[in-house]
Amino acid sequence: MGRQADRQDPALSGNGQWLASLVEREGTPAVLLQEQPSGRRIPLPQLRGLTPHRSPSLSWNGRYLALLVQQGPRRLAVVEDRARGRLHRLQLPAGLELERLSLAPDGRRLAVAAVAQGRSQVRLFDLSGFLEPDLPPAWAVRGAPAVSGEAP
Amino acid sequence: MAAGLAALLSGCLGPGPMPMQGLNRSLAEQGSQGEPSLSGRWLALIANRQGRDRVELVDVERQRPVPLPGLNRPDALPLSVSVSADGSRLAVVRQREGRTELVLHRRTVMSSEPIRMEPEGVPRRATLRADGREIAVEVSRGGLVQVDLIAVP
Repeated sequence: MGRQADRQDPALSGNGQWLASLVEREGTPAVLLQEQPSGRRIPLPQLRGLTPHRSPSLSWNGRYLALLVQQGPRRLAVVEDRARGRLHRLQLPAGLELERLSLAPDGRRLAVAAVAQGRSQVRLFDLSGFLEPDLPPAWAVRGAPAVSGEAP
Repeated sequence: MAAGLAALLSGCLGPGPMPMQGLNRSLAEQGSQGEPSLSGRWLALIANRQGRDRVELVDVERQRPVPLPGLNRPDALPLSVSVSADGSRLAVVRQREGRTELVLHRRTVMSSEPIRMEPEGVPRRATLRADGREIAVEVSRGGLVQVDLIAVP
């Protein structure tokens, strides 16, 4: 049997149904998305060719997977919208050497850690202009009115 | 193939991320930071203050830092932080007394509880589920790096 692959940098969806992590694929870190608790692997064809991957982050229901990818010499922040099968390439200010990111569970905001002019800094971005929110299921409303015929 | 990839990417541009200028300016004035964790209205990060790394929590909507009594210790070096969506829990991997440990900090009681790795291993990074009920931990164990899922009450 071959050696078990290292698995790093885990991220859970808000509802706990999805786990993203990084595994070595042909010597390069690539994101692995799995349903929990079955461990079923979910293909991510739009991310092929953009390795190494870094810093995966999932939204509440796992609709969005944000991560850092490599395209040629550039490290990019992308968001895969699994509901629509689209890959959003985020246009962040030039000159940032991206280190990590964190997507808010509702998908409305993104935090990135980036080095600029030799200093690491965290910056926030509002994504609500182009990502639909990925929200948890609604809470049941308390104090429902009595059904007709029942005492209030 | 490259052209196809470019088309795939460029076809999804549209409106881009908008920098949150006020908060970014405020963060930029406060020295170097890293390891961001964004959840709900909360941003947790590790900031360097006067040569020491410490965990900080920012209320993004009010654009102001929130105190974390009972979390930062002079003998501990935080490596990774993650916050729950309601801001009540933070999972922190830190070095202390020559060991690396994972702690769950509950803001409501201002205390940090160590979480043991079973079987024994060295935690390297932790991510809290948004509802705060589970932690995914990157653990170094016997020469292998693995991910453990730990339910927290």
